[in-house]
Amino acid sequence: MRFLLVALLVNFASPVLAEDAEIPHFLDETATSGITNVYKGEWEFMTGGGVAAFDCSGDGKPDLFMAGGVNNSVLYRNDSATGGALKFTAIPSGAEMDRVTGAYPLDIDGDGILDLVVLRSGEDVVMQGEGDCKFHRANEAWGFDGRDLWSTAFSATWEKGQDWPTLAIGTYIDRTQDAFPWGSCTANGLYRPKGKAFDAPLPLKPSFCSLSMLFSDWNRSGTPSLRVSNDREYYKGGTEQMWHVEAGKPPALYTAAEGWKPLKIWGMGIASTDVNGDGMPDYFMTSMADSKLQVLAGGADKATYKDIAFASHSIAQRPYIGGDFHPSTGWHAEFQDVNNDGIQDLFIAKGNVDSMPDFAMKDPNNLMLGQPDGTFVEVGDKAGVASFRQSRGASVVDLNSDGQMDLVVVNRNEGAQVWRNSGDGLGHWLQLALHQDGANRDAIGAWIELRQGDRVQRREITSGGGHAGGQIGWWHFGLGAVEVGEVRVIWPDGTASDWFKVAGDGFYDLTKGKAPAVH
Amino acid sequence: MQRRGFLTAGVALALLGGTGAVFADTRAGVAEKVLATWYHLALELVRHTPTYTPPVASRTLAYMGVAAFEALASEGGGLHSLVGQLNGLSAVPDRAPGQGYDTAVILNAVMDVLIHDLFANTGPTGQHAMETLTGRLAGQAADGVAADVVAASRSYGATLATAVLEWSRTDGGAVIDNMGFPAKWTVNPAPGHWVPTSKVVLQQAPLLPDWGKNRAFAMPDGDTCTLPAPTAYSEDKGSAFYAEAMEVYTTSQSLTEEQKYIARFWSDDAMLSYTPPGHWIAILNQVVAEKGLDLTAHVEALARMGVAMADAFIGCWAAKFQYDLIRPITYIKKVIDPKWEPMLNTPPFPEYPSGHSTQSAAAAAVLTALFGEGYGFTDESPAPDGVPQRQFASFRAAADEAAISRLYGGIHFRPAIENGQAQGRCIAAYAIGLKTRV
Repeated sequence: MRFLLVALLVNFASPVLAEDAEIPHFLDETATSGITNVYKGEWEFMTGGGVAAFDCSGDGKPDLFMAGGVNNSVLYRNDSATGGALKFTAIPSGAEMDRVTGAYPLDIDGDGILDLVVLRSGEDVVMQGEGDCKFHRANEAWGFDGRDLWSTAFSATWEKGQDWPTLAIGTYIDRTQDAFPWGSCTANGLYRPKGKAFDAPLPLKPSFCSLSMLFSDWNRSGTPSLRVSNDREYYKGGTEQMWHVEAGKPPALYTAAEGWKPLKIWGMGIASTDVNGDGMPDYFMTSMADSKLQVLAGGADKATYKDIAFASHSIAQRPYIGGDFHPSTGWHAEFQDVNNDGIQDLFIAKGNVDSMPDFAMKDPNNLMLGQPDGTFVEVGDKAGVASFRQSRGASVVDLNSDGQMDLVVVNRNEGAQVWRNSGDGLGHWLQLALHQDGANRDAIGAWIELRQGDRVQRREITSGGGHAGGQIGWWHFGLGAVEVGEVRVIWPDGTASDWFKVAGDGFYDLTKGKAPAVH
Repeated sequence: MQRRGFLTAGVALALLGGTGAVFADTRAGVAEKVLATWYHLALELVRHTPTYTPPVASRTLAYMGVAAFEALASEGGGLHSLVGQLNGLSAVPDRAPGQGYDTAVILNAVMDVLIHDLFANTGPTGQHAMETLTGRLAGQAADGVAADVVAASRSYGATLATAVLEWSRTDGGAVIDNMGFPAKWTVNPAPGHWVPTSKVVLQQAPLLPDWGKNRAFAMPDGDTCTLPAPTAYSEDKGSAFYAEAMEVYTTSQSLTEEQKYIARFWSDDAMLSYTPPGHWIAILNQVVAEKGLDLTAHVEALARMGVAMADAFIGCWAAKFQYDLIRPITYIKKVIDPKWEPMLNTPPFPEYPSGHSTQSAAAAAVLTALFGEGYGFTDESPAPDGVPQRQFASFRAAADEAAISRLYGGIHFRPAIENGQAQGRCIAAYAIGLKTRV
């Protein structure tokens, strides 16, 4: 036992980068990008600060909608030239609101134009997209009860047989309980369809002050469940949760009999990918101090997870540069392949909750490169993204359509930052967009599989997770040194496409029932 | 046995710190409400402030109790100051002769200053809550009191709190770095010694290894109430140590629902509960509400309880790092069953003696001295966390159950429990022996 522990500690202290792994080089282009958003606010805005990345202008490049806290939210149109410097212009969108904590894009009404779900400390608002980055309020038209709570988490799915999405919105503290807020977590809401609108929100009780939610098909059953990451700071008797959300049935918590084990963390963000190659999604959860990386431990029949964060060197427990030895505070987390080597990497936005002296004040964001052996190696400083600002939401996304994943981070009470991935020396890549007719046009719930030889990368298409923001658009894969791959899609209804051979370094539209088309 | 009526901890807190409906519309009633409301907040802050492990919580609750006591003692109404009785407490400010004072305003100022300081490192929500109560209670405490009396009382209260804080700075426990975990720690390689029991990075070193060296409150020092050495370490199947481990192991394999419930009820985990000392303060406040004790008796009890529990942790920690004993999880996995997992998470520090056992025995001894043998009560302190109430025939019975809960939970061997209880009762005698009445 002692020998094993010592060995783990030694490994933890000196992770080694794989010999052929490229460290991406990110250029901080904040000053010239046109992005000046500040997520500003005190107590009610200590959490949140999300960014939604999606193309609302129709040029194929993701535009950015950022939460502003007491400032108005801002929509930045992406004016970057392909492969060029990052350029954005703040434009009037109709979605400007104060008290916004986060936002997620989603084509709610299936008209082919992305809408926005805007989370607020106050009434949540669904904004119907009109095209050309214009939006209007649709709460009344869609029967959406925005309630007046402190909303902090979101995820969406299309339940079987439905042509309207089911939304889950997570809420935080009852902000009227200002002297004794602990234990006052307000009810999360499940908004199910009622025709072409939403039914009254179904309270997901018990609710435990959720900071991230994700509909994910954890065991590939074909029906996603709702993972909820909760902040133990405010709940009493709470735990991390997972809900059955099955068509025609009331939501029900996974139980101990089903293998679900209590876990109490300062849950702040969820990221998901298949880390260990078993075909099932694994889940990374940010927290204060130790992060968690859960892999399925008991097979598809048992919702039991094993934490491998320590062993895989992804625990990200304290700053790796800057000299502050205090534990870290993690927020948005996201898996993407930033060096196009075909292995998912992990970005974590870090930052003190406010000015808690027992946690790092100089808390650099993490960028950890995935390794062939399933471990991670920190390269945030070498890659140039180790910001010490009080970071919250983020998006790892290709902002200039060059196939390299760029980075945008929203900071609390400081300016947002944006980095361009120079792409120097990186591998080949693919960008894929999913389309299907009718509802759920962007195929939320689908799986994309990319095969290169014996190796298959799998990606679940989800809406939700992270911290207070997400993205829809191009789904990115790194190909490594091989310029070609085969792709197929397992659509939300379970049907699988054929395998299609595609050349690397290109954008492809994958439409259900059709062969991939170069975009 | 005297069976007291059903009164939940939540109700007790509401009665003590809520709307004030049960408080007499008197200055004493206002003072009681102020005190209870600040204590309610302090217990929440214990739960939600990162450095507040049980030893740290016990220290803060001791200083709060002593400060509240001295605020009342300065009134000259029958309480005898603890100056000269507690180590290092050589003086506290007096009220100015001829100046009118209001005890509620004084008490509010004392608690306000003290709690802001002792919980200065709490998070933004705690800061927000403290500021909210500062604004709310200052006005309530001063309502109907002459302006000059309010000013003098606030000034005196702040001065008294500052004096208590100055006294606290020199006890060795004022600064908690790195959540209480040393940045570097060398594990004793000899068999039978403590090794880390989790993969949490901070917990690769033990919690607060020097806490036993802190200045004690009422007892001379951390070595005052020594206890016998733990059973000699052995991996021999015929050894006493092996038998003790087997007791933990076999018990864990056949836990009844009642035993599981007991383990959960007393788990009192740091950052997830009021911690053990906070749990016992909640019990005390419940008793105060049930008995309708006056303010004088309440602060007397808070001071004695706080001192006893803080000393218990100092004595316990001194012994823990003297003996540096291996935890059951380490031994059982190595010697008996590599796949064994205890019901409770193993705390990150040496095993012997059991902290909960020591401090619960001390707390129960004080409560018994104050309220008598056979005081039956229903404890609902953990109810907000979904753990149902438990009834006890006496404080001693509750402490005994808290102690054995650690064996049910798989985190202590029996000698740590039984010898820890004896140590706690020995330490409590010093708090019980304090002269508090003129």
